[in-house]
Amino acid sequence: MTPTSIGVLGGGPWGLALARAASRGPSVTWLHSRRQQDADVPGVRLTRDLAELANCRLLLVAVPSNLARSVARELGDHLDGSHIVVHGIRGLSGPELSTVSQIFREETPVRRLGALGGPVQADELAAGRPSAMVVASEFAEVIAAVCDALQSDRLQLESSRDLRGLEWASALVGCLSIGIGFAQARGDVSPGLLAALISRAVDEAATIVTAAGADENTFYGLGGYGDLLASMALTDRPEVVLGRALATGAKLEDARKQARLRVEAIDLVPRILAFAKAHEVRRPIFDAIGAILDGSSEPSVIVRALFRG
Amino acid sequence: MSPTAPIFHFNQERSMLVEQTIERVCSHTRDSLHALNDAAYWETRRLEPSKKKRSQAELAEWRSLSRSLSRMSEPERRERLRALVATYVNDIAGNFDPRVYSLTTRILPALVTGLLAPGSLPKKLRHPLELLELEALADKVIVEGDTERLKGLAKQGTLVFVPTHSSNMDSLVFGFALELSGLPPATYGAGKNLFTNPVLSFFMQNLGAYKVDRRLRFELYKDCLKSYSCVLLERGYHSLFFPGGTRARSGAVESKLKLGLAGTGIESYVRSLKSGTERKVFFVPATINYLITLEAETLIADYLSEAGKARYIIEDDESSRLSRVIAFARKIFTMRGAVVVRFGTPLDPFGNAVDSDGHSLDARGRTVETSSFVRNVAGEVSVDADRDAQYTRELAQRLVVAYKKNTVVMATNLVAASCFEALRQQAPGADLFTLLRLRDHKLSRDDLARRVLERRDALRLLEKNGEVVLAAQLRETSGGDIVAQAMSAFAGYHTAPVIEAQGDGIVLRDPKLLLYYQNRLIPHGLAFDPDARPRKLEKTGRAVA
Repeated sequence: MTPTSIGVLGGGPWGLALARAASRGPSVTWLHSRRQQDADVPGVRLTRDLAELANCRLLLVAVPSNLARSVARELGDHLDGSHIVVHGIRGLSGPELSTVSQIFREETPVRRLGALGGPVQADELAAGRPSAMVVASEFAEVIAAVCDALQSDRLQLESSRDLRGLEWASALVGCLSIGIGFAQARGDVSPGLLAALISRAVDEAATIVTAAGADENTFYGLGGYGDLLASMALTDRPEVVLGRALATGAKLEDARKQARLRVEAIDLVPRILAFAKAHEVRRPIFDAIGAILDGSSEPSVIVRALFRG
Repeated sequence: MSPTAPIFHFNQERSMLVEQTIERVCSHTRDSLHALNDAAYWETRRLEPSKKKRSQAELAEWRSLSRSLSRMSEPERRERLRALVATYVNDIAGNFDPRVYSLTTRILPALVTGLLAPGSLPKKLRHPLELLELEALADKVIVEGDTERLKGLAKQGTLVFVPTHSSNMDSLVFGFALELSGLPPATYGAGKNLFTNPVLSFFMQNLGAYKVDRRLRFELYKDCLKSYSCVLLERGYHSLFFPGGTRARSGAVESKLKLGLAGTGIESYVRSLKSGTERKVFFVPATINYLITLEAETLIADYLSEAGKARYIIEDDESSRLSRVIAFARKIFTMRGAVVVRFGTPLDPFGNAVDSDGHSLDARGRTVETSSFVRNVAGEVSVDADRDAQYTRELAQRLVVAYKKNTVVMATNLVAASCFEALRQQAPGADLFTLLRLRDHKLSRDDLARRVLERRDALRLLEKNGEVVLAAQLRETSGGDIVAQAMSAFAGYHTAPVIEAQGDGIVLRDPKLLLYYQNRLIPHGLAFDPDARPRKLEKTGRAVA
């Protein structure tokens, strides 16, 4: 194992896709997974030992958001200040809305942290189909390390120094995607209205990102707007599936089942609403998504509310 | 303390330090043409408006350099560069005279009076009895914090003290606090304008201060300054920086820091690693808390005129007026606990806490190899300006938190915040400038005492959570007594009364000074914040469907 080898943590679709993408480069790639992998990932070495994974200085973390803190704490025992940790986890944790990089800052000695985001999908990444991704870090060194590891003629990497902005953007896109699924499934939402809703939603999310202390432009870029546009075409994105199910009258529990994967945004929307309220941000779209989730209004009422903005 | 700190050998080392700095700056400077052009541009701009003969001569020299630069060969330019750098570095480098140091620490109390008052010092020196009396300064300046731990760290690495800055008295008071607690003296950069006073200049020079000429704005000079500071740190000279950059105009502790010089902490650490002998650098945040501030009147006026930036160097404040300094010193000597210097938890240059053995600790308290923070992906120790700038920003955030936690609330802060609150209730919704015009508002003693107690109790709660510190005199006492403490502190120093007793009430005479003293509590949410902008994140002009 060379010090420049890349370690990927998380054996779900995202983790596997990142490992596949990294294995196309010159560095040795390791994958740590708790799951029993059905088949070998070509070019990727498997380990179940965090200490072994920690021999890699660049670590890409793709675990479910609800496990981020416990994984970080455990991993932290094996890391020091020379490691670079970059995560691809969508979500903001707790009532204080901690970003995943904040969690890693609290639970590990690692300071050089970064995040991945943008419209790229796990299957595109795994298959090596052309796509685009954003990497954000306050450290240029982190961005360079990720570009060296993942950039290829099939994966375009955009970089940003606004780490917080990208993490917030990714989380908010998750929430807004529910609204997209909902609107798409409603017969009374025309394409023109859908476009108007999305534009307003982007504006609203950018204002929330600013209130969170990040740069609003980050939301207008690939990690926000770009990611949200992908939701329009991605009919199987769990958030979109969930929104669609709710639009057709399904109860939240049934909609959750239809989405199959865990939808972080369900728990996140009320916390975002509380945050926006505390910061006096106007939020009609997020209010509507809140109403979609808690079933407090009839779908037709929500559509009218969305229409009024 | 025993003179083992490197500064006691400064004079033997001075020429070596200067030479090393010159060498480093010259080899740093890749583009000599650009460096000289930049210096010539800024110096011409600075000197042009001046009518002084000396400035005119300097200006002529810069102009001639500027004209001939493009015709010079590279070796010629290098020669000019080296000469220029040598001039600056020699100007920057100070002196340290152990005899002056030992004298000073014995007579420092007198010095504080005499220091800025050249006339009175010889007289005091002729009357040693008066000096003895003044030695009682020890109970006027109170030192808090874990000084034992700092003493241990001073033996293992270089200490960089980074206190808050509110007065020109700070470096002297801080120097005295170091001596009081048995910590080694620290070298520091002092504004060149402070060297114009002959007595102050003599002591500052001989106590290891180096000169910072804030008028020189070009990169080459900044590079000289940073390199000199870096060389000192590498050689183990404990240093003192004021990361606020300048005295806080508003009276609040700093929330934004300039860490230009403190950024050299990482560089010196990396250089020590590269040379094979790790020498750790420990940042020690500290607060300097005054019951009354020497320059309060000028500072708050400057803050209010929003000229804070323009008048970066104030030449004509109270510290240059003899009578004010003497009045201030007299005042200080009559008040117990007039100044509290409080040391916070030491940090490594990356903003991590360190333990008593100098080991870096992560947020969960795990010991982390300090050098790992400067290793690149390949595991090699590296210099990386971008990375280190980010570490330094993160260190700054940690310092701001430490300042807030270690702010020692004095009676004047508490009473001023309570008075200002009453003033605001008198004129609900009024803007700052309207409030400041509300002179002679009267409130009953009972009302004020009640407000003071309420605030004191709120502060106690914060103190329990480690978010602030109350001065000892405020702990177990009545609201009326706290008001009396503040009134006796204000009385007799500020040119006009700040608050005044009148019958059974208290009259608020000077809202500006009340603002100054209450501002200290802004970070804790217990004072009116004049800079708080109304939250307005809503975008305007968007058509609503």
